[in-house]
Order: sequence, then structure tokens, then C-alpha cells
Amino acid sequence: MSLVLKNVSKTFGRKLVVDNISFTVDRPGVYGLLGTNGAGKTTTIRMLLGIIKKDKGDITWKGSVVDRKNVNFGYLPEERGIYPKTKVIDQLMYFAELKGMKKEEALKAINKWAKELKVEEYLDMPAEKLSKGNQQKVQFMTAIIHDPELVVLDEPFSGLDPVNTEILKNIIIGLVKKGKYVIMSAHQMPTIEEFCSDILILDKGKTILQGNLKEIKDSYPANRVEIDVKENIDSYIKEFNLEIENVTNNNYVIKITEEEMAHKLLEKLIKEKVKVDKFEIKKPTLNDIFIEKVGE
Amino acid sequence: MSDILTIMKFTIKDMVKRKSFIISTIIILVLIIGGFNVPNIVKLFNDDNSGNKLLIVDNNDIFEGNLKELKGEELGYNISVVKASFDDVKKKIENKDIDEAIIIEKENNNINIRYIVPSIGMMSEMPNDLIDSLSSLYSNIQISKLNLTKEELEAITPNFTYSMEQTSDEEATGNILVMMLMSIVLFYAIYFCAYQVSSSITIEKTSKIIETLVTSTSPKNIVLGKTLGIGIVGLGQMILIVGTAIISALLFLDSNLLSMVLDMSNITISLGIITIIYFILGYFTYALLYALTGSTVSKPEDIQSANTPIAILVVVGFYLSYFTMMNPASNLNLFASLFPLSAPFCMPFRVMMGLANGIDVAISIGILVVTILIIAKVAIKIYSNAILNYGTKLSFKDIISMYKDK
Repeated sequence: MSLVLKNVSKTFGRKLVVDNISFTVDRPGVYGLLGTNGAGKTTTIRMLLGIIKKDKGDITWKGSVVDRKNVNFGYLPEERGIYPKTKVIDQLMYFAELKGMKKEEALKAINKWAKELKVEEYLDMPAEKLSKGNQQKVQFMTAIIHDPELVVLDEPFSGLDPVNTEILKNIIIGLVKKGKYVIMSAHQMPTIEEFCSDILILDKGKTILQGNLKEIKDSYPANRVEIDVKENIDSYIKEFNLEIENVTNNNYVIKITEEEMAHKLLEKLIKEKVKVDKFEIKKPTLNDIFIEKVGE
Repeated sequence: MSDILTIMKFTIKDMVKRKSFIISTIIILVLIIGGFNVPNIVKLFNDDNSGNKLLIVDNNDIFEGNLKELKGEELGYNISVVKASFDDVKKKIENKDIDEAIIIEKENNNINIRYIVPSIGMMSEMPNDLIDSLSSLYSNIQISKLNLTKEELEAITPNFTYSMEQTSDEEATGNILVMMLMSIVLFYAIYFCAYQVSSSITIEKTSKIIETLVTSTSPKNIVLGKTLGIGIVGLGQMILIVGTAIISALLFLDSNLLSMVLDMSNITISLGIITIIYFILGYFTYALLYALTGSTVSKPEDIQSANTPIAILVVVGFYLSYFTMMNPASNLNLFASLFPLSAPFCMPFRVMMGLANGIDVAISIGILVVTILIIAKVAIKIYSNAILNYGTKLSFKDIISMYKDK
């Protein structure tokens, strides 16, 4: 077992913000922490890294308490921060040195990551002159520059445009390939689905769902059918008393409660010689599961 | 330790590269150099009378032909004595034959002396040396008529010796004014450097960099590294300013004027070292207090109000030292030199005045060091617990509970 959180709780004043949560990360990959705003994700991450003290429970990394001395970790906080007047390269060097890197080693790593994150041209500029997205990428560099084995990313994609999101995604995939452990909190469900092997959903500080993402999804019955046809099939859908969730250019998304209904609809369409380009029975998305669980 | 040095180096580099720092330092240095040149500048713009043609008119022979004696005095004028009317004088001035004139007239029992110039400016007045010379010449003429002996003349000329003595055994030496001035310089140096620590910490909270920083090193390293860095920059700036002031004084001030203001025999290397030690200790005392208050706010607009209690302490410490300096042998001044909040502003000057010995200095430094250690412990503890507090300024009650929080 690498990272273990056992019965961890935290109270601010009289408010219980994290209530007895436990999870384990036992292999390299991305572990997703999900939850609405104020669910306790950031507090969990801060306790995990020892930034704030937990009231109860145990947090260990390979058997030792998680702190700067025992664990080589990198952290991208949710609150984005940068020294506005300082040159990008100077602040990157500063954090690299604080993380124990030698000057030459740090410079090499800065140039490598700056190239991958496409911020090379901004290294000699004061950070305040960079766009928000580029500032975020610079801060991401401070989290990974020292090649940490545990990387904790709090909402890494929030505020990024699609191009920068893609760049960051590729880097996270690269980290996982190198055997790194990544803990990531995010709001964007498609992103979590894309990356995370395991997830934990928090609501008001309580764990409401956790486990392997594929197993969670498999435990849910199919709830939609997507059909791509060349003509209007509204009448057939109505015949089976099915509800259309969305329709665009004869691409239908239809809600179902059991798979059998989808099979009957397909039989009907074939019988009526409707040209079907695509017919897919879909399991609920993570977004569906999240809304169902948090909305309960 | 290496993290403290890294933070210290980064803080120094970051501060000295800032345009605001460079510009303000240059402005201060220019003002100092300019300030010491004020007497030279004033001299440059003042009318220089040397070589001016001065006509003295004594139609009634009031000075009994003795006015020619003025020529022998070093008044710097080219003097000629004539009998002439006002119109003649006016014509000569208009024709630039002469620069100015003095007309001496008698009206009843009064002697009128009219000083005639081409035009009267706002600051124009009859030169004092001329007035003194004329008065003295007239007195001498009148005294000589009394036929006094040398002894009688000496007897009516006052020849007093003034001195001031004290009953106390402790003797203060040195120029109090200079000490007060230096005390003010020390106060501002300590106050402004220490204040920087507070704003530097708040800026890290405002720019949200703090969370990245506390996962990179310990709060203790951050507070100490930052305090050291700002202190070194402040000390460097103070040495630069005081050095510029001393060099400017030696270069630009008239040596007689300089010796009147500053007794250089009081300024010794050991006094310089003691002043630097007290600057460092005073700076640490207040900088750590400011680190504490800086960590309790997260908005720049709250810094001022959060720092007010510390500002009051600095001012109380300074005035305790400043006002008791008027009577440096008093017990209150002795207390001020030992009390940690006022000692940095007071003890260097007691040393300068020869009122403090090595034991006094050692006791005072000991008290300051213990105070700094206590403040550092409290400040680091509160900083560690308060840095992630965003939003409203922490109340005194919050700060106390943060200190108690394990």
C-alpha cells in the first residue's frame, strides 16, 4: 500500500468539513477526488500533505507520516499563486532549490518542462505579464519540477482553454506512464473519466461513493440509447413510450430504464427498413452518477 | 538551514531588483547629497558683495573724517568717501559708476543712515557687517574723546568666561542634537525595514503563493529567511545612507560648520559596531512582531489596521528613548536603555555619551535576545496557523486561540 487515509476527520469551528473518510492508493495512476464546491476535497488534500492538521485518523505514505521530509511530493493548489513582479525563471529556480535541487539540475528541468508546457518564451518575463493560463502552467511546473513520486493536483484544469487542457492532460498521462501516483480533484467529469482508475465522491465532507471507476459504472444498468438515422423516427419512439433526451440532425439520445426496451426499438427500426448508422446502448456517465449521488 | 538561506537570497534579490526600491534609494541619496550642499547652493544664489563699489556720503562730517578707516577693514567693498547730494548719488548708481551708497545724515539728535541700492528685493537688507563696522567706528570716535586710560577702557569692556557644571557624577559627553538626529535615523530604519516583513508576508497571501511555499519548506524557515533577507537589505540601505551622509558632510560642508554640528571624536568604530548590533536586534524584535500581524491578514487594505498595535509599540519605544535623552543621566533613560522595545533607540547613544559600560550593554543585549527568542516562537507558531486563513482579518481572540492550537 502506498497512500493510505484511514478515518480522517476535520472540523473548522463547529463545522465538520471532512467526516471520517478513508481511501487507499496502491498502484501508480490517477485517483480522482470528486465533489461539489465545499464538499471537503481541498481540506482533504491539505490534510493529506500536512498543510493543515487533521483532527482524527491516520494518513501514511508507504507506512510513514506524510510530510516534506518523508515524501517527495508535488502540489498544485486550487488557489493559484505566483510572485507577480518576479521573473518566471527566478521563481521556478527558487522553488526548485527549496525542493532540494542543485542549480544546474534545476535549470535543466526548467528548460525541459518549459518546452513541454510551451512557456519557454516567457521564462525571462515577470509573471504578471503572462496570461492566466500560462501562469497556471508555470505553477504546474513548480509542482512537478523536482520529479516527485506523489503528485497532488487540486482542480488542475479549471480556467484552462482546450489547447492548454490538452497539453496538461498529456503531461499527466506521461507522469502515470513513469509510475507516478497522482491524486486529482476536479469538477470536469469527462476529464475524471478519461484519467482516473479509482474515484471517491465527497458530499458535505462525507464519502458517498468510492471504488474502481469501471466497476462503479458497470454496477449501473444502461440508461440511454444513442441512435444515428437518416430519417425522423419520433413516431417509433413514441410507440414504445420512450422519452427523447436530445435530438440533433436525426441523432437521437433516448432515455431507457431497461436494455430490453432498446432491443425492441432496434427490431422495430430494422423491420421498418429504417437505415440505422449507429445504435449504442449506453451506461450512465460519471456525470449521471455524480448528479444522482450528490442530488440524493 | 539551506532553505533559510535560499529564502533569504530570494528575498534580497527580489527586493533590490524592484524599481520602487531602486528609485526610492536614489531619491534618498540625492536628497542627502543635496541637503549637505544647501549652504553652498544658498551661497551661490546670495548676492556677493565683494568688489562692489560703495560710496559713503557724510556731508555733515558726523564721522569726523574717520570713515576712510573703513577701507582698511575686510568688508570686501571698494569704498570711497565723498560729499554729494542724493541726486548725485542717484545719477552715479543709474550710470553704474557705483553699485550702492550710504548717506549719513543728522536730524535733531538722531543719526540717519540711508542705504541706497538700485532696487530693493524681497530679501534685501543692509549688510550686518557694514552696520557693525559703522557702529563700532562711531563708538570708538566717541570713546576716544573721553581720554580714557588703557585700564579704564579695559574695565568697561566685558571679558566674561561662561561654563556649565553638574552635581551628578555621571558626565554626558557629545552633542545631544546629533544623537537625537541619529536616534531618529535608527528609528526610521528599524521601523521601515520591519514593516516590509509584514507587507511581504501579506503579499504572499494575497498572491496565493503561500500554499505552494508551505509545501516547499517549513513556516519557520519562511519567517526567518524573509526576516533575514529584508534585514540585510535594510542594513545595507542604512549603511549606504549614513555613509553617503558622512562622506557628503566631509566633502561639501565647511569644516568649521561641521565641527560645530558634529564632534567626530564621538564617532568611533566600536560605536558603529554597537549601533549596527542594536539595529539588528531592534529590527528582529519589530520584524518578528510584524511577521505575526502580517500573517493574520490576507488583503493589502487590512495591513495598516493589523499593524497599528505594533506601530504604537515602536512609537512608544522610540519616544521613551527620545525624551529621556534630554536628561541622559536620569533613571528613566537607564530604564529605556534596558527595556527591549526602547533599548535599540537608546543604548547606542548612552554608549556615545559615555554613560553605559560593557556590562550595561551586555545586560541590554541579553534582554533583547531573550525577547527576540520569545517573540520568534510566538510569531512562528501563529504564522504557521494563520497563513492559510483567507478572508477577514483575524481578531485578537482568534490569534490567541491559534497560539493555543497544537
